[in-house]
Amino acid sequence: MRDKVLGLSAHDQTSLLRLAILGLISVVAIGSRLYSVIRFESIIHEFDPWFNYRTTRYLVDNGFDKFWNWFDETAWYPLGRVVGGTLYPGIMVTSATIYNGLRLLNIPVDIRNVCVFLAPVFSALTAIATYQLGKEVKDATAGLLAAAFIGIAPGYISRSVAGSYDNEGIAIFLLVFTFFLWLRSVRLGSAMYGALTAVFYFYMVSAWGGYVFIINLIPLHVFALLAMGRYSNRLYVAYSTFYVLGTLASMQIPFVGFQPTFTSEHMAALGTFGLVQLVAFTYYVRTVASQQHFQLLVRFALLILFVLGVAVLVLLTMRGVIAPWTGRFYSLWDTGYAKIHIPIIASVSEHQPTAWPNFFFDLNLLIWLFPAGIYFSFRELTDNHVFLILYSIFAAYFSGVMVRLILTLTPIVCVMAGIAMANVFETYLDFRKAAPAELEAHDAPPSATGSMKRYYTYFPKIAVMVNFMYFLFMFQWHCSWITSSAYSSPSVVLASRGPDGSHHIIDDFREAYYWLRKNTEPSAKVLSWWDYGYQLAGMADRTTLVDNNTWNNTHIATVGKIMASDEDTAYELARRHDVDYVLVIFGGMLGYSGDDINKFLWMIRIAQGVYPDDVNEQSFFNREGQYAIGDDASAAMKNSLMHKLCYYRFGDVMGPKGFDRVRKQRLPTSVELDNFEEAYTTENWMVRIYKVKELDSLGRTHHAVAKLKGPRAAAHIPF
Amino acid sequence: MLAQSVQNYILFIVLACLLLVSQAHGFTRESGSGRVGSSSYSGLVNTNVIRTIDLKSLPTVYEQVGVVVQNEHDSKVFKSYTVVVPYFKQIHLAHIGVRERKGGVELDVTQLEKPSGNDTALSAPVLYRATLKRALQPGEKISLNIDTVYLNTVLPRPAMVKQSDDQKWEWAEDLLVSSVYPTRKQKTVVNTRGVITSFAKVTEGGGSSKNGRSVTFGPFTSDMMAKLEGVQANVRFRDNSEQLEALTHRREYFVSHWGNDLNILEYYALRNRAPAIEDGFDKVKQTMSKFTKSRDNFVKTLLLKVPADARQMYVVDEIGNVSTSAVTGRRRIKGELPFKVMQLKPRYPLAGGWNYTWWHGYSVPLSSYLRIDSRNGNQHLLRVPFIGALTGSASQEEEISLSAIDSHNTASSNYELRITLPEGASNVNVHLPFAVDSMRMEPLSYYFDSTGRTVVVIEQRNVAPDSNKEYVLVTYSYSALSLWKKPLVIAGVIFTLFVMASAISRTQLGLLPLKNGNASSKIMKKSTKTE
Repeated sequence: MRDKVLGLSAHDQTSLLRLAILGLISVVAIGSRLYSVIRFESIIHEFDPWFNYRTTRYLVDNGFDKFWNWFDETAWYPLGRVVGGTLYPGIMVTSATIYNGLRLLNIPVDIRNVCVFLAPVFSALTAIATYQLGKEVKDATAGLLAAAFIGIAPGYISRSVAGSYDNEGIAIFLLVFTFFLWLRSVRLGSAMYGALTAVFYFYMVSAWGGYVFIINLIPLHVFALLAMGRYSNRLYVAYSTFYVLGTLASMQIPFVGFQPTFTSEHMAALGTFGLVQLVAFTYYVRTVASQQHFQLLVRFALLILFVLGVAVLVLLTMRGVIAPWTGRFYSLWDTGYAKIHIPIIASVSEHQPTAWPNFFFDLNLLIWLFPAGIYFSFRELTDNHVFLILYSIFAAYFSGVMVRLILTLTPIVCVMAGIAMANVFETYLDFRKAAPAELEAHDAPPSATGSMKRYYTYFPKIAVMVNFMYFLFMFQWHCSWITSSAYSSPSVVLASRGPDGSHHIIDDFREAYYWLRKNTEPSAKVLSWWDYGYQLAGMADRTTLVDNNTWNNTHIATVGKIMASDEDTAYELARRHDVDYVLVIFGGMLGYSGDDINKFLWMIRIAQGVYPDDVNEQSFFNREGQYAIGDDASAAMKNSLMHKLCYYRFGDVMGPKGFDRVRKQRLPTSVELDNFEEAYTTENWMVRIYKVKELDSLGRTHHAVAKLKGPRAAAHIPF
Repeated sequence: MLAQSVQNYILFIVLACLLLVSQAHGFTRESGSGRVGSSSYSGLVNTNVIRTIDLKSLPTVYEQVGVVVQNEHDSKVFKSYTVVVPYFKQIHLAHIGVRERKGGVELDVTQLEKPSGNDTALSAPVLYRATLKRALQPGEKISLNIDTVYLNTVLPRPAMVKQSDDQKWEWAEDLLVSSVYPTRKQKTVVNTRGVITSFAKVTEGGGSSKNGRSVTFGPFTSDMMAKLEGVQANVRFRDNSEQLEALTHRREYFVSHWGNDLNILEYYALRNRAPAIEDGFDKVKQTMSKFTKSRDNFVKTLLLKVPADARQMYVVDEIGNVSTSAVTGRRRIKGELPFKVMQLKPRYPLAGGWNYTWWHGYSVPLSSYLRIDSRNGNQHLLRVPFIGALTGSASQEEEISLSAIDSHNTASSNYELRITLPEGASNVNVHLPFAVDSMRMEPLSYYFDSTGRTVVVIEQRNVAPDSNKEYVLVTYSYSALSLWKKPLVIAGVIFTLFVMASAISRTQLGLLPLKNGNASSKIMKKSTKTE
């Protein structure tokens, strides 16, 4: 190596290069997440982010104490929601801290922009954390490759594009960084790194429910090391420090509370903690007792302890002291569990089992490098590599069970691919070593034939490298394409292309929400399916009955029942729940398939689970067993509130031969609606809002009033 | 059931009676106070009063009262004339001015202090004093024109109609012009834009009569006036033109010397004054009207002129970009600077009574608005429009005619003007085209400010749309050094950070010296490998 370039030593050069590469990776990581901002605008995406955004606003406006004690009476009307105690505050506190810090520097940014750009900025931090992890388990080359991979891997981008303001946005960084700190503390046996692991574990607990993965994986790592006979004092120091501090810290989050002491999800960590103490004690005893005594002692002690431990665990679980596994957890092991027992979990698309193409879609090249990385880890099996292998196995299993857990798989795939790739680089990019060896073997001075020979030895190396470079370019290409085409739509705003290629923006959701926000009483209660609850609260700023925090199944079932009942029953129920407006999403005009009629079966199913006497799924299929909406629909379907609200007067605008563009069926010829009054319908009919009529002042039914007024004049149809 | 509703009706009637009695009581008290007033002003007499009310450019109402004033006192000389504005009109008052008819000399007008005290005093009429240019000698006569402008006083009647029915409006006020002086003869003429459907019938004196699109009440002589005291006059007419009220209107200017940039931001909370929708919104009809080009009462587009060199335009509301807006190319009208038209489409069409809130902004080159004093380089003079005008349109057409853009049918009932000067501006002076309700200076720390900057805040209730031709002048001193202050401060901070980072990386924080097993050995391994 040449001595000095630009007056820098070799060491300084490499560190400068590393810094520059990491900087560029960060820029690429942030940059590739901005498609949606450039194409649409700086806007919060989807559903849950709207809740996070709203609570962040509340935190910024009212301060931490009020936020902590916030009882939100505008959600789950009339029950309300204790917000402070039922959320992971990490992301809100992070945003508020950044916001206040910038304010302090006289940079008056909008809190919305902080929220929108939080995930991309944290993805840059994730890349840096992955670099550290890669460097910890192999070397800087592997680290840089892993960082570059995670910077653009679609599996992670899917949850961290600008505007996707969700817990995962910061949680993946925390996950990777906590693991890095853990591995370092195990390698060094450092109490300081153990404590730092606990600190970041606490941050993770405050940010995402996925912290359970950490608190099970680290004990598993410890257990595996013990089982492999790799106990060391370093492990003891690291785990004891981490577990004690981390558990105490995690209990400070109200939503977690005392769960680490009594729920099954946390028992493995506690058990391992006990085991480590025992093993440590055994090692101590061995230093003072003789060989025979020791073996006897160990045999008896292990037997007794095992029996005792299992007995206590079973007893506590049976007595209910240790909470059994939750339904969501069961569905992790048995993919069919949710479908049978908890329709509300099964109704969410991101809880479905993963299809095979998804892996290729989200990870591309990495999915092949992943096993290679595992192989290399086995070959050089250090404590760290044991951890990587365990992480790989578990994350791979879980990601196959639930689509959204590909997210937790992505970091380890990137690290493993980084290791594999670094090994390839090490072997095939090392030209210097091979060349002199060749020369020495032939024992000849460098000549024309020698350089020819050198060329021959270089050729396979170059060929392999060109091949891999091609794969890497394709990977980059694939990632950009997936990000741009699949993961960069805000879903609040839709885009379509006209036949001439012109760009149309379909903004019906915001049109309706803003109409509600500006033209209804601030105390108005809006009934809609739970999917739109968070958006209604965030954009329309009105009280909702149910929202995406699906904690009360009965309440959701009641809303489902209102939608599935006939008009008069629904009217009575709606009035009893103080509902002022009913909002439905209808895609029949535009061909938007994610509308309420298509979700209606889930509503019916959930309602039937609670009110089996009033709602029956079978009655919504017609005699041929079809899910029809036109004149051939079943009576229950035609009379249901949902059907009426969606198709009310839709035929008048589509003409007598009109079609529903989603279901490709003929429209019902007449829809009578007397108890509800059209309040607003958006440009493309996607959102329809109805007012629940006041009781008639003369005590008549609304049907009688409508009959008295006579039929509504039919509109003139020009086409 | 029946018994209960009968009970309700009785209760209602009793309440209504009570209300009427209390109203009547109020009227007598008010007129009583007027009489008390008139005694102290005795001497001046209005020999003839002609009031003309112009309802052609609603929601702005132009009222002109022509009075012939005579000093009938034996010896007293009068230096001023007092104008009465009833309280309920005063809260909608946008402008008041008094001119001598001969020569058109504008007189100084000042509002008189209200006697403080109870609610009655609060709702008492407001008095304005116009100082005459030349004192009125005994026996002398003078003709005065009192010009007043009111906003949003005309209301829709009925308050609810179907969404494409005609809009009808009602002007309703006291039949007689209130004055502190005795009046010999008076007449009121009301002119409208649309067809008059009904008006109050008066039989005394000249009575009331309709002539095309105007209604005349009177003339009435002083003996009839006693009878007509407290009588209400009204005119109902059809008018389908759009009327909007800006409940809150804020215009902000940001001056940036660095970018040669004047940034303008306008915030509106708008309400359509049209009658509300009866029997619910009808989407089918609304969709159909697009194809049949038939009229309805929805305001669909908001138009505003911006300078032709405006750039970086945006329209945002509380939940994000409003993507349906457009801007036209350069347009030019004789005698005006070239301009562009921003066509803002609200997220939803505005029916009567519906609200819409948004803000929009753009940048223009600062040099067109800022003069630097050539003798004294520090002295800067900024000249900007007092308010921006907005036109709402219910037209279904894509391209809107230029004349429609100037109809300016938005009246701002609460207006705030904020001018943010650059950091380092001092000796700030503001010259206003007319007196305003309040003006103050506020400090503000904006992007990377170290000492903060000054914001001029002007607040005014009821600003008529035609005030957009008025300008505000702000003068301030700003030295060349202030221009370099910000980059220097930022550079200094960054430099300090680097120095600190450099110092920290050279400091050993641990108690023990670094273990040789870690970093350094790795590097050695690396270097041996590469050699």
